[in-house]
Amino acid sequence: MSQLQATIFGALSGSLFAVMALGLSLVWGFLKIINLAHFGMILLGAYLTFELATTTGIDPIITVMIGAMAMFLFGAIVQAGFERWRVSEFNSLLISYGLLIITVQVVSNVWTADFQRMDSSVNPYAAQSLALGPLRFPLPTLIAAGFAVILVVAAKLILERTYSGRALQAFGQDRDIAGAFGIDHTKLGILLAGAAGATAAIGGMLHSLGESLHPDAPFEWVGRVFAIVILGGIGNVTGTLYAGLLVGGISGLTAAVWSPSASPFVVFSLVVLALVFRPTGLFPSKAGH
Amino acid sequence: MAVLAALLLVVAACGDGGSDATTTTAAAGTTTEGDTLGTEAPDTTGGEASGDPIVVGSTLPLTGFLSATGVIHQIAGQLYVDRLNDSGGLLGRPVEWNLIDDTSDGARIAELYEQLISQDGVDLIMGPYATPNILAAMPVAERHGYVLPQHTAVLAPALTYECQFPGWSIGPAPNEFIPNQLADVFDSLGDEVSTVALVTNEGGSTSFVSYGRPDVEEPSASTILPERGYEIVADVPYPIGNTEWGPIAVTLQEAQPDAVLVMGLGVEANGLIDAMEQLDYSPPMIFALFPAPGPLLGMGEAADGLLSVSMFEPNEPILAELDPELQDVTEEFSTRVEEADLPYSVFETQAAATWNAWSILVQGVEGAGSLDHQAICDYLHENGADLPFAGQVSFDPEQNNFWPSNQVIKQIQGGDWVVVWPEDRAASELAGPNG
Repeated sequence: MSQLQATIFGALSGSLFAVMALGLSLVWGFLKIINLAHFGMILLGAYLTFELATTTGIDPIITVMIGAMAMFLFGAIVQAGFERWRVSEFNSLLISYGLLIITVQVVSNVWTADFQRMDSSVNPYAAQSLALGPLRFPLPTLIAAGFAVILVVAAKLILERTYSGRALQAFGQDRDIAGAFGIDHTKLGILLAGAAGATAAIGGMLHSLGESLHPDAPFEWVGRVFAIVILGGIGNVTGTLYAGLLVGGISGLTAAVWSPSASPFVVFSLVVLALVFRPTGLFPSKAGH
Repeated sequence: MAVLAALLLVVAACGDGGSDATTTTAAAGTTTEGDTLGTEAPDTTGGEASGDPIVVGSTLPLTGFLSATGVIHQIAGQLYVDRLNDSGGLLGRPVEWNLIDDTSDGARIAELYEQLISQDGVDLIMGPYATPNILAAMPVAERHGYVLPQHTAVLAPALTYECQFPGWSIGPAPNEFIPNQLADVFDSLGDEVSTVALVTNEGGSTSFVSYGRPDVEEPSASTILPERGYEIVADVPYPIGNTEWGPIAVTLQEAQPDAVLVMGLGVEANGLIDAMEQLDYSPPMIFALFPAPGPLLGMGEAADGLLSVSMFEPNEPILAELDPELQDVTEEFSTRVEEADLPYSVFETQAAATWNAWSILVQGVEGAGSLDHQAICDYLHENGADLPFAGQVSFDPEQNNFWPSNQVIKQIQGGDWVVVWPEDRAASELAGPNG
C-alpha cells in the first residue's frame, strides 16, 4: 500500500510538472522556439499569486486570472520580439535564457532572495488532502492534476477542431507551405506564445499552493520539465500529460522502494533510453511532431 | 539533447559570473563613547578614525540560491563595520569592506579570494558563507598567509589551516556533538522518545552529521543514536534540491518513529511537514538541522514543537542578560533587515556568527597592534577572543581552532523560536511530544 501511495504522490506531482511543460512543448513544437523564459513566467506567476493572495487575502487559485493575463502579455511580447528579429531555434535558447536570468534577478529584487511562503491562513490547500479509503490525494497536486486535464483537453480541442489549431499544425510541419496557403504565422505565433504564457502562470500558481518560493526555483524545475517534454513528444499535448504522470509516478515509486536519491537516476535513464529508441516521444500523436 | 542542453544551462546558471555586485563601505568616522561593538576588543582607541582605510575583502552570495542567508551576513557585517568606524575604526584607521557577490557559485570562490588578495591587495579578509565556500577560500588564504575568520563552517575536521578562526562552533566534531545533544534532549523526556527516523540531505554538512565523512570510520548520528538507545526505524537520504517529499512522508508514516530528524537545509523541513500533513500523519517530534527560521513559523500548528539548533536567539531572558550595546545591535539589525524587505528580521544564529567572526578579526588586529597576519594569528592562538555571542574562547590548532560549542536547542512555541536546551540557558521549558 505504501508503494501505491508513494506512486500517487509522485504521479500527482508529475501532473504539476506537466502543466509547467505544456506551454514549453507547444511553443517548441509549433513555433520552433525553445523558450527558457517560460520558466521565468512560471516563476512570475507563482510570485504574483503569493503577492495577490497575501496582500488582498483572496483565494490563491482566483489570482491566476490576473497572473494568466499578465503572462499572456509577457509571452506574446517575447514572441513578437522573436518574430521581429527572426530568431532561429538555437538562438532562441540563448536569448530566452538571458530573459530567464533577468526575470530571476527582477524577482529577487522585488521579493528578495529569501524563501516566501503563503501562510496557512492565506493558503488553505498546502497541507490538505482528500481521502479515498486508506489512500490520500494531496490537494495542491490534485488541483494541479485537474488543471492539467482541463488544459490538455482544451489544447487538444483547439488544435484539432479549430481553423487556428489546424493552421498551427500546418505551420509546425512546414512553414513555407503553410505560408503559401495564407496562414498568418506571425499572429498565430503570438497568440500561441501568449497562451503558453498563460499556462505558465497557471503552473506558477499551482506551484505556490504547495511549495515555498525562492527566485532560483526555475533551475530546480528545468531538468524534470524538459524530461517530460521529450518523453511526451515535442508539441504533443496529451503526451505531455502522460509523460508527467509517468515521470512523477516512477519517481515516487523509486523513492519508496529504493531511495529518493535514486529517482533522478531512474528518470533520466528513462529519458536517455527514450531518446535512443523513441526520439519523437513515448506517446504517438496525430498532431505531434 | 534538449535535456543535456537544459542541464548545461543549469550549470551555466550556477556559474553565471557576470554580475559581481561589488560594494564598499566608506568609513564613517564619528566618535561615540564606549565599546559599541559589545566586545572587549583590546586597545580600541575610541577616537575618530583617520588615515588610509584598512580594507577587508570577502565574498558573500548576494544573488543565487544561497543569497537569502548571504544577505543576512551582508547586513550584519555592514552594521559591524559601521559601528566599528563610529567607535574609532581599527588601529585608529577607518575600515572599508570590499564585498564581492560570489553569486552562490562555489567554483568561483578561490578565484575571487585570489583576486581580492593578489590584485585588489586587501589588508584583511573575512570568510565567505557556507562550508563548501569556506573550504574553497581556505587554501588561498593559507597560500598567502592571510588570517581567515569565518562564520559558518560545519565540517570542522576539514578546516585544517591553523590561521582559520571560526565565529560559530559546533565543536571540533559536530558529527558527534549534535546527535549527543539531541540524545540528551530526548533523555530528558523519559521514555517518550525511543525511536527516530533520519532524513538526510546528501549535501556535505548535513550528511556529515548523519553519516560522518565518506570513507572515514567515525561516529555520527547514525551510530551515536543507537548507542544512546534510540532505534533508527527509517534512514532516508535524499538528493540536494529535492522537492519530492510525498514518498519520504509515506516511508516515515510506515515507520512511525517517535521523532523525525530532518538533517536538511532551507525549507526542506517545510516540504516534508506539508507532505506528512497531507497523509494525516504528524510525528510526535520533529527536529530540523539547519532550516530557514522564518518560513517554519508561518506553518502554524503544523510546526509547533519543532526543534532546531541555534547559537543565539533574542528571547527575553537571554536578551536581558546581554550587554546593552548588543541589545541595541539586535534592534538596529532588525530595522535594517526590515528596510531591506526581508521577511524574517530577527537577529539570530547567522547574524550572531557574523558578529563573532568580525570580532575575532578586530581583536586579532588590535591585539597584534598591526596588520601582520602571522602576528594576528599568533595573538589569537595565545589569547583567544572574547566573542559577543559566545564569551571568552580559545583557539587550539589541534582542534582546528574550533572551540567548545555553545550551541543550544531551540523550539517553536506559540509561533516563536525559544531556547529550550540546555536547561541552564533555556528561555522556556522543553515541550515533549505530549506538550
